[in-house]
Amino acid sequence: MESNQKYMRNFSIIAHIDHGKSTLADRIIETTGLVSHREMKEQYLDNMDLERERGITIKLQTTRLSYKAKDGHDYTFNLIDTPGHVDFTYEVSRSLAACEGALLIVDATQGVEAQTLANVYLALDENLEIIPVINKIDLGSARPEEVKQEIEEIIGIDASEAPLISAKEGLNIEAVLEAIVEKIPAPKGDINGKLKALIFDAYYDNYRGVVIYTRIFNGHVAKGDIVLMMNTKKKYEVTEVGVYSPGPIPVDMLMAGDVGYICASIKQVADARVGDTITMAANPTEHALPGYKKVQPMVYCGIYPSEGEKYENVKDALEKLQVNDAAFHFEPETSTALGFGYRCGFLGLLHMEIIVERLEREFDLGIITTSPSVIYKVVLNDGSIQMIQNPSNLPPLTEIDHIEEPIVKANIMIPNDYVGSIMEICQERRGVMKHMEYITSTRVVLHYEMPLNEVIYDFFDALKSKTRGYGSLDYEFLHYEKSNLVKLDILLNRDLVDAFSMIVHESKAYSRGRFVCEKLKDIIPMHQFEVPIQASVGAKVIARETVRALRKDVLAKCYGGDITRKKKLLEKQKKGKKRMRQFGSVEVPQEAFTAVLKYDDNK
Amino acid sequence: MMTTNRKLGLYIHIPFCLSKCLYCDFLSFSGFSDEDQSRYVQSLLMELDWYRDGREKAGGITIDILDYEVDSIFIGGGTPSLISAELIEKLLNKIHENFSVDQDCEITIEANPKTIDRHKLKAYREVGINRLSIGAQSLNPGLLDFIGRVHTPEEFLKNYEEARAAGFENINVDIMFGIPGQSLEIWSDTFQRVLDLAPQHISFYGLKIEEGTPFQLMKQNNELVELSDDLDRKMYALALSKLREPKLNGQCSNYDHYELSNAAETKFHCRHNLKYWSMDEYLGIGLGAHSYINQERFSVTRDIARYQKNNASHIDWRHTNSKEDEISEFIFTGMRKIEGISFQNYEARFGEPISRRYKNQVSKLLRGGLIELTGTGMKLTLLGIDLSNYVLSEFV
Repeated sequence: MESNQKYMRNFSIIAHIDHGKSTLADRIIETTGLVSHREMKEQYLDNMDLERERGITIKLQTTRLSYKAKDGHDYTFNLIDTPGHVDFTYEVSRSLAACEGALLIVDATQGVEAQTLANVYLALDENLEIIPVINKIDLGSARPEEVKQEIEEIIGIDASEAPLISAKEGLNIEAVLEAIVEKIPAPKGDINGKLKALIFDAYYDNYRGVVIYTRIFNGHVAKGDIVLMMNTKKKYEVTEVGVYSPGPIPVDMLMAGDVGYICASIKQVADARVGDTITMAANPTEHALPGYKKVQPMVYCGIYPSEGEKYENVKDALEKLQVNDAAFHFEPETSTALGFGYRCGFLGLLHMEIIVERLEREFDLGIITTSPSVIYKVVLNDGSIQMIQNPSNLPPLTEIDHIEEPIVKANIMIPNDYVGSIMEICQERRGVMKHMEYITSTRVVLHYEMPLNEVIYDFFDALKSKTRGYGSLDYEFLHYEKSNLVKLDILLNRDLVDAFSMIVHESKAYSRGRFVCEKLKDIIPMHQFEVPIQASVGAKVIARETVRALRKDVLAKCYGGDITRKKKLLEKQKKGKKRMRQFGSVEVPQEAFTAVLKYDDNK
Repeated sequence: MMTTNRKLGLYIHIPFCLSKCLYCDFLSFSGFSDEDQSRYVQSLLMELDWYRDGREKAGGITIDILDYEVDSIFIGGGTPSLISAELIEKLLNKIHENFSVDQDCEITIEANPKTIDRHKLKAYREVGINRLSIGAQSLNPGLLDFIGRVHTPEEFLKNYEEARAAGFENINVDIMFGIPGQSLEIWSDTFQRVLDLAPQHISFYGLKIEEGTPFQLMKQNNELVELSDDLDRKMYALALSKLREPKLNGQCSNYDHYELSNAAETKFHCRHNLKYWSMDEYLGIGLGAHSYINQERFSVTRDIARYQKNNASHIDWRHTNSKEDEISEFIFTGMRKIEGISFQNYEARFGEPISRRYKNQVSKLLRGGLIELTGTGMKLTLLGIDLSNYVLSEFV
């Protein structure tokens, strides 16, 4: 067996959303000649439509490339793409752990962002060689020298040799490739040692079962080997090993230094957990690779079939998604208002939005989602503890001694002009500032401790809106803290609609109640009768609005036998009705559930 | 020749007007010459010939007109009374030439005040027109002006008398309520004065502000305030109660309120319009005209240049109704009739009871007091009339 380690480079790209990660990945792939320009879809690595639309990468894609460097040698590059959002920190860290180096892409017009910084720290934790790359230098507002200085100041790495590129224009890509060859260390590891391979991603394929993305740190693996997942303790027979370039290409063997894939007839990704170590069942390594943790959902919401949608269809789709997403949890629950559905757990709000959108688009399902909730620790009078993620399951107040809520450490990076307004929205959301840090003369990081339920409610939207998109945020769980929380209920025509219930801080109950009532007033259509909308805490009504009764909804003259026009009108109206959900006597459009959660600048 | 009893309504569209009213979104134009008129009528004649000849139109529509007997003709617009009586005569002659026309055929022409006189009306009678539909819209001069009508109440009244004198014994008067600025009193006055004329038929339409009309622009610019729904419904209710009031001679009124917006003496229900509401067959001739024949709906182009191109395709839209289409159209057009629809007819037509598809909808609407059972079928209640869109959208 011969190893090609010397001419191998494994690296990731770290960048803030919109700073050009995917575009650079496209250019690298193109320049190394793997895929012809004609065949390339824009932003090759982002392969879900949703990602393409949002311009962000959610699921990792890995590609093997071949590059003939100026030194005359042929190099094998393994480009490991990372997801670009705060919800996926753990996945990012495992992808980085599979590399020896990382390209840090910084937008020459915008500088370093909080989220980039968070990922840079992850890369530094993994002892990666970081190569700064300044992108978008073709733009008039580019300020590469300032940005270089910012990188040096904030991150503390030398940026003097950072390639100045335009990924969009294909400018100076060669310099990036040469830097990869020169600066990123070749992988090490004994190809004849005991197998030690890191799972950094996995997805489910209908034909091959779970496909594991892996980095081999030690030893080698081939078809027919019986492998052991060291954390889940499960054993599988390897059915195929290969590399992506860009489609799957089976190879005889993967060996230390390689990045590739392993198939072993695994039924769901939960059995091939990101961060787990693969070794040989018969001859296992003593120590698993460090850094494994089981990801836990932080945010929950109810997902229900909407009117006319089948419960089974939703179940099938959720199962399919779970097969591919170890971080996503669901279990059946029942709502008086919405009937049978599921309580679903997510890493964070974006993760939730992505799953919901995929259910709607890929699976073409009509669903209703309820207000997202965090997990509350409810301590009862008898000292027992209940973890509650559905507000409707909150025990009666008389049985509760106190409630604790999750607090996160939030790092908010903003241009200094916005410090005042951001401190204000943090304070409104019960944030406690720990300290403020000027990382350059114009950029500030605010360190806050904040209740997670405030962060998931509308904090992202508020932050983006107040900083015109320039603010960025990352957060991590800190601890549970005792808090004065109440359950806010919404009543339509005097009937409680459990799907609208939420747990809020007592100081927020009034304003939130009023906000929801006002929103619902705008969104609930007129009925034949007056519809009172009330917000209550316990038996006390704290806000009220009324939708007045409908008096007239008449079909105008049918003109000259043109039935079609009227029919279209009626069909449109019926379609509107279909999106309605019947609560007692009141019909509520499905949008109502998301509308009451939307950040409103005027509130 | 095989004779059958398949009846057909013929609609002829005349898209010309003296000037366009501010609320109107019908297919019509103003500013045209006599030549334009005769050229257009020439195209109508050609279209009528096509059906006679059974010739393939480019749109692929052929119907065997020998299978049909025409029992209603409706010359609508626009303002059909605007063009010369000679042109109307040519049209009717052509229809008689090409189609088998029932002895008792209802032949209507729409007329607007100021575009008719004794001579024209006499000529209409002579060519066999036996029903006149006059667009009075209002008897309030200020409102007429506001909505862009070019005639006065007096001109309408004069024309009405002339029509009677010319021998018209079946006259419809079109009036509108819900006009911005209209008070309940103004409406009551207009309605009463029309009733006092004792026309055989009254159409009373609620004004609706349509897309693309000057009224819609004015609404957008806050230059026009729509009447409240409450007032609009009061006006409608007032009309219904006036229709039921005893006449001056102490006799009960013999008006039937037979469709949402139409009332007539028993023998004078509009046969042609009833075809639209009963899923009977009709053929539309002329610009933008719609047809329903052999469970197929189709329409003529709305582009006049294209329409007048000889031998070109006139049909630019066609749709063969599925069973579902037929059913929902049967209900939502049929329910416009005050008597509603008959379950027996429904079953005869579609080979299944109405409960098969609409059990839930019917019981929900019954519970809501929006429809009621009639013994033979179902119909809208007064509340259901006010909310008819809501009700009928349950069935599409």
